[in-house]
Amino acid sequence: MAELDIAVQVAEASQIGLKALGAALSVGLTGIATAIAEMSIGSAAVGATAENKDVFGLVLLLTVIPETIVIFGLVVSLLMLF
Amino acid sequence: MFSPEQMSRILIAAPRNVMAPVIGELHHQRIFHIEDFIEDDSEEYQGYRLGVPLEGAGETSTELLRLRSVTSAFAIRPEDMDPSQMLSASRLKDQIETELPEIEKEVEDLLATRSALENQAKELENTIESLKPFAGVPVDLSLLHGYRTISVIAGYVPKKVDVGVAREEYYAESKKGNLLIVAVPAELRPDVERTLLDAQFQAVAIPHESGPAAERIAVYSVRLEAVKKEMAEVSAKIDDLRERHAGFLVACDELLSMDVEKAEAPLRFATTDHAFIAEGWVPTQDVSAITDGITRASGGRAFVTELPIEPGKDIPPVEYDNISYARPSQLLLDVYSRPKYTEIDPTLFISIVFPIFFGLILGDVGYGLILLAMSLGLGKVLKGDDIRMLLKVLRNASVSSIIFGLLFSEFLGFSIPGLESVLPSRHLNIGHAGGHGPAVPELMIMSVWIGIAYITVGRILGMVNHARQDHGSHRTRAVLANLGWILAMWGILLMVWSAFALPLMPDFTGVPPVVMGLSLPAISGAVMILLGIVFIAMDSGLELVELPTILSHVLSFARLVGVGLSSVAIAMVVNFIAIGMIIEPQLVNLSIFGVGLTIVGVLVFLIGHLMNTVLGMLGGGLQSLRLHYVEFFTKFYKGGGKKYSPFGMKRRFTED
Repeated sequence: MAELDIAVQVAEASQIGLKALGAALSVGLTGIATAIAEMSIGSAAVGATAENKDVFGLVLLLTVIPETIVIFGLVVSLLMLF
Repeated sequence: MFSPEQMSRILIAAPRNVMAPVIGELHHQRIFHIEDFIEDDSEEYQGYRLGVPLEGAGETSTELLRLRSVTSAFAIRPEDMDPSQMLSASRLKDQIETELPEIEKEVEDLLATRSALENQAKELENTIESLKPFAGVPVDLSLLHGYRTISVIAGYVPKKVDVGVAREEYYAESKKGNLLIVAVPAELRPDVERTLLDAQFQAVAIPHESGPAAERIAVYSVRLEAVKKEMAEVSAKIDDLRERHAGFLVACDELLSMDVEKAEAPLRFATTDHAFIAEGWVPTQDVSAITDGITRASGGRAFVTELPIEPGKDIPPVEYDNISYARPSQLLLDVYSRPKYTEIDPTLFISIVFPIFFGLILGDVGYGLILLAMSLGLGKVLKGDDIRMLLKVLRNASVSSIIFGLLFSEFLGFSIPGLESVLPSRHLNIGHAGGHGPAVPELMIMSVWIGIAYITVGRILGMVNHARQDHGSHRTRAVLANLGWILAMWGILLMVWSAFALPLMPDFTGVPPVVMGLSLPAISGAVMILLGIVFIAMDSGLELVELPTILSHVLSFARLVGVGLSSVAIAMVVNFIAIGMIIEPQLVNLSIFGVGLTIVGVLVFLIGHLMNTVLGMLGGGLQSLRLHYVEFFTKFYKGGGKKYSPFGMKRRFTED
């Protein structure tokens, strides 16, 4: 009986752990995806700004557009955790 | 308020001999946006040519160029100057002729002296540098050069070398390198050099000086000091001149720029031998002012008339017409694109909703106060219209953060004691905080509601825009398409509500089914979606590809919660590390070591919150801007309007 109790406890603990892992993966992987997307936009943005300073505001915005990906990841992980 | 300032198209025709007073009047009023005349074969302007600059344009330009060289030497920028007093233009004109050349001469002389002194100092420094290697050599430098049969080589070697010929040599080891000076018969020099090169020898030129090197260095150093002192004196004189004349110079700059602008205005007019025509735009409310002004200035010899506006052909320039609260937000709109003349100007929306979004994201009394202090403080230091506007936007945003901080009950990540959170709680279980954690589902639904509302508003504005701008059957289709998007979105919502019970949303799961297991709300939802799709497809079938954006754009508003929660999390982590992990354990029984650690804890606290403030400002600002630009503007806003830039300039330093 005691063994069964321990088994249940282990199962519950690993359930929580897997949840946390899932949440971590969803933020981490989407973070990497955002980084990859922003990498090329960012370098193009710096280039464009060097050519013409007026576009700074616009390219700053273009650079943050892929941030949606990581925000979806964050939303998913929050929903998982709470 | 929601439309740009109304413009009227004005035509001025007058004889050429009143051109100067007419231009003067236009410049003075600063409301006439000149439509540049382009020489082409259009029927109405046959026989007209581009005008030539007024008399004296060349001289004024030259004068301005000379003045600019002085102001740039002084590094004076009009934007940084506070106009202390206005100088009278007529007196200034005399002064430009009498005083300006003197000042220019003085400055030129001083600059020439300074650059000569700079060169001298550089030369002295070089000489001292070349003497330094020989500072330790006990021989007179004159003994090292000037022989016909003997060659002297000097330089650094890694270790002592035997050059293998008859020689006199000096060798000294030092940290900088080992100095080797050898005197060898001139004809053996190439051999010796080869040997030395193999031993990684770095040659040093032998200075053409006489006397011990150390002594020479001392002499040159004294001279260098003297030159530097003289340079400082000249710089002080330049600074003094700058101090005395800066106000006068910027006033001259303004007056001359104004004269040049006036003199070159005819280049934008259509002229014949005896007359000229200027076309342009003025705000409709100012038409009578400009008509009266020109009639007065030309002595009644100019003809001013309002022309009809042909839609499509004449594109009026766009000037914002907003209440004073919304004006700073025009900057945010200009970053995207100025509205078209016929379009709705969304500045008021952005000026109200941007601070709300910012507050929802940052939502912390502490950070709000820091940003408020920053925006007010920087406003005292920084100059320039754009920066001022930006700081005002930041001020509004930080006030909103304070309000939302109270609603969320947050102060630097702590909950405010005795203040219950009115909105769903954002406090996380970090450290010893306890409690039930954040109410994430409620927060999410709240942000989704905001998204639904804002997108619906955007689509309604889209309907208005199309109704205003388009014609014929296209107009009906475009308006219906926007309605279709609204129907599809709300249809999806109705379907979702009848399938799932969600917090903070209507619950239709209990409604009894009518047909095919679908309840009444579900059926009406499905009908709305179908109708929406039909409306959208009627305008453009390709648009149907965009249907998933209904979901993604609404969910995108979840960033209001996501970014906000991450900022709360960082704040709480900083608090936990600084107070819970570093400071508190030390306070139990305080030791000297503990006091040190406590100070470290305070530093962690300060730096952590400083970084989070910067992150919060960037995150809050950029994310809420993005919500406007991407999720809101794409529904109705095109932009691309021409900026209204009236002829004339804002006078800050001179008056008539």
